[in-house]
This record gives sequence, C-alpha cells and structure tokens, in this order.
Amino acid sequence: MRKNWKTGTALIMSLLLLTACGNSGNTPASEQTNTAPGKEKEVVNQQPVKLKLLTISSDQARQTIMKEYIKANLANELPGIEIEYEETSDVGAKMKVYNASGELPDVFWSGADYATAIINAGNQLNLEQSITDSGFINKFAVKEALKYKDGIYALSSGADAYFTPKIFYHKDIFQANNIEIPTTYDELVQASEKLLEAGIQPIAAPGKGGWAPAFFMIQNMIQIEDPAVAQQLVENKIDFTHPVVKNGLDRVVKLAEMGAFGPGAANVDYGPAKEAFTQNKAAMYMMFSWELADLEANVPDVGIFDWPSAGEKYTPGSAIQFWGSPLAGYAVSAKSKNVEAAVKLAQYLAEQDAKYFTDTGSLVTLDVGATSTPAPLMQANIDAYNEANIKIPSLTVMMDPKTSTEYSNFGSLLMTGDYTSDDFIKDFNDLWLANTYFE
Amino acid sequence: MRNRALRIAIRMLLIIIGIFFIFPLYWMLNMSFKSKEEFYVTPFALPKQWIVDNYINAFQSYNFLVYFKNSLIYTAGTLVLILFLGSMLAYCLSRMEWRFSKYALSYISLGLVIPVNVVMIPLFIMIIDLNIQNTYMGLIIPLFAFGLSACVLMLYAFFRSLPKELEEAACIDGCNVYQSYFRIILPIIKPAIATQCVLIFMNVWNEFPLSYILVTKEAFRPLTVGLANFFMEIGVTDWGLIGAAMILSSLPTMIVYASASEQIENALTAGAILK
Amino acid sequence: MTRFFSTNTSIFIFAFPALFIFTAFVVYPLFPEIVISFQKHNGFSSQGFVGFKNYIEIFSSNSFWKANTNTFIIVLLSTAAGLPISLLLAFLLDSQANGTRRYFKAAGMLPAILSVTVIAQMWMAIYEPQWGLLNSLLRAIGLESLSQEWLTDRGIVIFSVAVAFLWQYIGLNTLLFYTGLKSIPKTYYEAALMDGAGPVKSALMITIPLLQEVIKFVLVISILGSMGMFAHVEVMTGGGPGYFSRTIVYELYYKAFMSSEFGVGSAVAVIYVLQCILITLVLNRFVAREKIEF
Repeated sequence: MRKNWKTGTALIMSLLLLTACGNSGNTPASEQTNTAPGKEKEVVNQQPVKLKLLTISSDQARQTIMKEYIKANLANELPGIEIEYEETSDVGAKMKVYNASGELPDVFWSGADYATAIINAGNQLNLEQSITDSGFINKFAVKEALKYKDGIYALSSGADAYFTPKIFYHKDIFQANNIEIPTTYDELVQASEKLLEAGIQPIAAPGKGGWAPAFFMIQNMIQIEDPAVAQQLVENKIDFTHPVVKNGLDRVVKLAEMGAFGPGAANVDYGPAKEAFTQNKAAMYMMFSWELADLEANVPDVGIFDWPSAGEKYTPGSAIQFWGSPLAGYAVSAKSKNVEAAVKLAQYLAEQDAKYFTDTGSLVTLDVGATSTPAPLMQANIDAYNEANIKIPSLTVMMDPKTSTEYSNFGSLLMTGDYTSDDFIKDFNDLWLANTYFE
Repeated sequence: MRNRALRIAIRMLLIIIGIFFIFPLYWMLNMSFKSKEEFYVTPFALPKQWIVDNYINAFQSYNFLVYFKNSLIYTAGTLVLILFLGSMLAYCLSRMEWRFSKYALSYISLGLVIPVNVVMIPLFIMIIDLNIQNTYMGLIIPLFAFGLSACVLMLYAFFRSLPKELEEAACIDGCNVYQSYFRIILPIIKPAIATQCVLIFMNVWNEFPLSYILVTKEAFRPLTVGLANFFMEIGVTDWGLIGAAMILSSLPTMIVYASASEQIENALTAGAILK
Repeated sequence: MTRFFSTNTSIFIFAFPALFIFTAFVVYPLFPEIVISFQKHNGFSSQGFVGFKNYIEIFSSNSFWKANTNTFIIVLLSTAAGLPISLLLAFLLDSQANGTRRYFKAAGMLPAILSVTVIAQMWMAIYEPQWGLLNSLLRAIGLESLSQEWLTDRGIVIFSVAVAFLWQYIGLNTLLFYTGLKSIPKTYYEAALMDGAGPVKSALMITIPLLQEVIKFVLVISILGSMGMFAHVEVMTGGGPGYFSRTIVYELYYKAFMSSEFGVGSAVAVIYVLQCILITLVLNRFVAREKIEF
C-alpha cells in the first residue's frame, strides 16, 4: 500500500504538471523561413547580404502582403539580399526577448506599444539622415507624420493614417425595424432600444481585453461632444477627470448597461464580434475602416455612417480619429552589421505595403506610382476622410506600454455595464498621469 | 434486490458522468464537420450536412506534416533523455548512500513550481550562447530540464519499493554498478518506465510556451505552435476548420493513451504487488 | 551491500548529468529574475535598482490581492470540492462490473490528455451567454432566471473558470483513488462484513484510513497544480473583465509581459515561488507524519 501511493501520487504529480506548465495556446504566431529565389540573376562576384527580418502576421492582409508582395518581388527588386524571415503576430513579445539577448533582427516591425522601449535602449536606428540622403523621404506625402521626437524610427505605407473608426450597419435590418441612420447619440440609444425589443443585438464590438473601448470607443464618445477635448487629451493637456471626458465614458456605460453590445460583450474577441455582424446577428458593428473592403465584398446590405453627435461642437463627420503612429512600420536595428542593406530592405518593405494597400483601394502616404479605383463604400470613406476638418490621432498610441495595457484592462470593465465612469476615473486616472510617453 | 437496483442506478450515474467527460470529443468532431455558417446557428446540434472539406482544408492550409514530424522528434528526443538520465538520477537518490541525497530530492522538486514564463529570457540567452537555437537539441534540452522533476519523483518512489536484495544478488554475481543497474534494476521497473513514456509524451506533445519563444524558424516548429498560428490565420471564426485542426493534432495523444491505458494501470498496481 | 555500489564515481555518473542540466536550465535562470525584481525594468532593459519598490507596489495593488483570492478559491475548490467528488466516484466505480469500469476509466482520462487550449475553447462555447450550452439548457428547462453572463460577471467569472479547470482533472483523480482502492486487500472487508459493518461504515472505518496516504498526496499535488493555474485563464478570459479572473501566475505574466513592468512581474514571480515552497514545507510536515503499514 505504502509503495502504491507513492507511485500513484507521483503519477498525479506528473500529470498535474500538464496543468501547471500547461500550454497557453491562444498566443498565436506564425513564422517562416526561406531564402529569396532567383540568385542566378545576381551580379557575379557579389556575395548575397544575409539579413534577418521579423515581421507581423496578425491578419489576412499582413499575410497577403508577405506572400504576394514582399516574397514575390524580392528577387527582382532587391537582388543580392537574402532574407531569413520570421513572422509572428506578437512582435512585442519576440522583440523583448531579442532585445534582452542582444540578438536583434536587422529589420523588424515596430509597434507603438513597444518601440519607445527599444528606442530608449538605443537599439532602433534613427533613419532620418539616410532616407533624406537617398531621397526616399520625398516619396512621402506627409513627412511630418514620420517624426517621433528627434527623428524617424519607422517606415510605413501610411495606410494606417487613413484608417478611422466607423459604424457599419445592415441596411436590411434597419429598414425592417423602421430605423433611420442615427445622427445624434440619443438616436443611437433609441435605435438600440428598438432593436433590443425586436430581439436583435444592436451593436457588435470586440470587448475582450478592452479592445474596442481602448482603441476607439472611449475616444469617439468624447469627441462626438467636443473634438477639442479629445485633442487636448491626446496632447496630454487634460486628464480623465475632465467633465466632457466623463460624459464620454458615461456614454459607453449607458450602451453597455442597456445591453446594446449583447450579453457577455466584455469577453467577445475580435473575430467573433465581426462574425456576429456578418452573420446578421448584430445590426451594427463598430470597427476601424480596415474591415471595410472585406465587408463590402461579403456583406450585401452593408452600409457605413459617421459617429452620431452628442453636442453642438460636433456634427457627424466633422471630426475623426485616425489610427497611424509614427512608430508603426518597418524599423532597422541600430546593431545591424549591414545597416545600409537593412535600410534598403526597410524601404522596400514599406513600398510593398503601399502597393498592397493601393491595390485594395486604400489610401497611402507613400507614393509608389500605383493607382486603383476604389469600390463605392471605400470611395465614400475616402471622401469622408477628406471632408473631416479635425483629424485627431489615436489616444492609445500616446501611451507607454504600461498605460495602454491598463487603459485596455479597465476599458474592458466599461463593457460589463456594472462599472461606472467614476470607477474608471478612480482606477485609471493616476495611471494616465504617470504616463511616460510624452517625457 | 435493493442492492441490484442500487447498482444499476450507480451504473447509470457513472455512464452519464462519463458522457460528460467524453463531451469534448463529441464537440470537436461535431464542429469539424460543420460549415462556418451552421456553427453559428446551431453550435451543439449534429451537423445537417457533413462537410469533410474541413479536414482537407486543414490538412492543406497548414504545414501539418512538417509540424507533425517536428513534434515527433521533440517528443521522442525528450522522452529518451528524461528516461535515461532521469531514471539514473532517481536510482542514485533512492538507493545510493550519499550525504546530500535528501536535499537533492527537494532541490529537484523545485522544478514543479518554477513557472516557465518567468525564466524565459535568461533561458533564451543561454540557448543562443550555446549556439543551439533552431536545432532540435535547442528545444529538447530545455524540455528535458523542465520535464525532469516529475519523472525523477515518480521513479524515486518506485526504486524505493524494490527490495535491497536485488543489488546484493547482483553483487554476488560479480556485476558492477552499471551492469546491475542496466541489466537487473531497469528491466524490473519497466511498468513505471512505460507509464512515464505516456506521461512525458502527453506533456511534451502539448507543450507551448517554450516552443513558441525558443524556436524561431518555421521548419523547426512543433504542432502546438503551428496550430495556434493556424487559429490566428483563419481569424478564430471558422470553427469547422478549427475543429478539424484540433482533431488532427489531438489524435496522437488519444491514440497513445488508448493503447497504453492498460499499461498505466498495471504500472500503478505493480507498486502494490511488489510489496 | 549498496554501500559497495555507492562509490564517488558511480554517484557522480548517475546524478551529475541530470542535476547539471536541471540546474543550468531551470534553477540558474531564476537568479537573474531575483535581481530584476529589485530593478525598474521594462522587459527591454533595466533602468536601475529601486530597492523594495516593486514589492511595495505589489502589496498595495488591488490586482495582486484579487489574484491571490482567486488562486485561493481555486485551490480550495479543487481540494475541498474536487477531491471528495473524485473519491466518491472512485468508490462508486469500485462497486461496478468490469465493462462500466473500463468505460469510465477511458472517459475520465480524456479531458486530462487533451490540450488546455481545446478544453478552454470548449468551455467558452459552453459559457457563451447567447447560444452557449449552459444558458440554452437553463432556458430549455425553464430556469432562465439562473442563466448568467458566466465569463463577464465579476462575481462569477472565477468560479466559471475554476469549474472548467476542476472538470478537466476530476476523472484523473478518480482513477488514482480507484487504483489505491484496488490495492487494499479484500480480507479487510471480509473481516468487516463478519463484524456486521455495512458498505458505508466499512468505507469510513477501513478504506479511508487505509487510503490516507494516497489522499494526502493527491491533496499536495492538487494544491500545487491549482496554485500554478494559468492557461485556462489565459484562453478563457485573458484575466478579465479587468483583473477579476487573474490568478497569481497570470498576474506575473500580465505584469512582466503585457504591461511591460518586468521588474514588478519578477517580484510577483519571486513571491509566487516562495509561496509554493512554503506550502510544500507545511504540507510535507503534515504528510510526512507516520504512515499506516499493512
């Protein structure tokens, strides 16, 4: 007996290890390695330069760019460069390990949420000098948008800058329930009430981890009352105790309380939220315009409208939030042994991004000499962008990693409906005041 | 009569509870034969239309065979290393006389509570310094180190239950310590080794965090990381494909367990019999 | 005789390789973390030593205490509720014929051999408030008032996650108890029967005392296993809503890797490892008491 329990319990011990050290499989990643084909074309006597590249593969667009643009065109446009690819959806986690170990890839995808730390560690190259010398900078329509503090640390297509939060809706559902496009926040609330009575989920938005509240919802609920306040917040001039900010938070809470986001909204992932809309389970979908192309192609009755107004200082479409950050894009490691080739590669990558976005009808700031005719909704979106007088950058890109993580964290609670704006201000405002992004 | 009724009632209860445990298998299988649309309408009912394409798509659209091969190599390598070195250590701790053996046992138990995530960065630096990143050894050695504790603790208990006379007999026969260990002791604990095989297999096959961070090349990634990557690629909305991929990657563990479950039980009871 | 084999050389050859690799790859990497726990560190680089500031910050944060409470709830549930259920099932299993037994043993192990990702995804589908199995069932039997937002209600979420966790290992524990039951010599029961004891009485008087070593050890392992619970939380809720379903290991992961406070995360890790060592020591004292021989 005594022996038996020992073996038995040791067995449990080892099996429970399955739990203790169990896997955390939802951190997704994909990585690929291969070398550029077509080496025959190389100039004789020239050794290929080998570079390591770490890029983001978070969604289908990114994967298409990788497969059909970057890899496909490399041999032709950059002969003599051989790339060891690594693709992942969580570049930040990877870069932490690489940065700490000193083994940085030559070129990597820089994100606003972690780039400041790499720059402060002196590992992300200031590209301003080299792209000014080569004249590459002249291809950008808005050069100021590249600047972070004293230099340029990432090159991107600039497509991000044109992505704005929109409200998508099902024309059929609106019609069947006699609902007009809401132009004020109160009308949005009334429309939601009507839909709830009809047994339809009014709004789909990803609440898990506070995605929607943090990336656009709180900010837009503030700027539909007074865009100037949102602007001041983004510039770090005011904090979350400002009355207009509090009103904005209350607007999120009100929708959550009435159940407009559907039950369990605070735990809905990005994919399922979109699916709720495409499967006609939700009447509206709050999301950035990067989903526009896909929805326009696959949802026959889809329409878009601007954020409704909650005050006299804003009319629908007069102010918009844009997504881009000067730190999002391709960056070069300051420790690279082939800086020159690495910069060339970063330029090439930004151009391939730009080609993809132009081909799919999106606007970019990096001129690659390509044009295309956008689909009707896409065109409407571009027009709306051009007509907006006030363009406000995203609040989350103005936060250091800790602040933005906690912003999302407490943002997710707003989606539960039993968490007030006062709770949020109490929990988050001190963290906002300690934000180091602007230092 | 009352006894029989009671027994039948208990049997029904156990069968129902058992169904509850088999539910994930039903869930995965059912999901894997559904179209994306149907999953959202009736997630738990049987498919109206059985779609086999999910399997074909899952098989084609992610590098199943490469990941599968890698998982096999990592699992087999780790298995051999743990069983070989782990059993030797367990033997040494339980049957050799030295001052620190008790402390060494507690020390090895530390491995049960150290979270992998915490030591990841130093570990990564070490793998690079040793120049074994993106080789099979580069993952097998850390997997071995983290899987060692459980194996040593179990085998320790097993060795303790063996009668002391075994070595004495071996000694009289003129064996040295190595001969006696490999020829006499090791064959005796075969059931425990078999149990460990299954446990280590299931553990390593399902491992995620180490493989995710330490391996950076696609050609060396195991199934778990490939599967997570696949979930991401299809946007966690096409549940049919996800179900098919889940089934494909869980199949090996289920087969290993099904074919070895009797062995496990024998091993467990062997401890009692030996006494 | 064993002394004859216990030469320095043989001990070295048997013990050194495994101990060396274990030390190098598991224990040694812990030391940099201890150092980092006294630094301001963002995961990319250190910004200098800050003394006990990280520890003070942890002890004054709501999320750390919530994580501790949650971990305590899970440990308590898996021991106070999970183990008795497993033990009862083992008794029931023991009373059954071979066919039922084999079926139940195979079924019970299934959740334990599947990866946590699969299990957690399934439970998410069960808990889904609109079309999820649980709420649908409650509606179907007219108990709609009991339906909940299982994974977003601050008061409920940790219990929902705990149930999924508990469920995955209940069959396994049953199997282990059952194996222990099987090895108790039948003569004991015969003696008890002659004394006129019923099945419940003989279970209480004979089986449980004889099983106590197994019970103690399952207890130890359940406690350590649930202390380290992480993957279920990560997949099912991401610690949310807010920080309301974080466990200690999730808290250290959140601090170190999500909010980029590597110093604070390392400090949580140090506290966690200390907690585990403490628990092990206490339990060892308790478990190491005299054993019943038969």
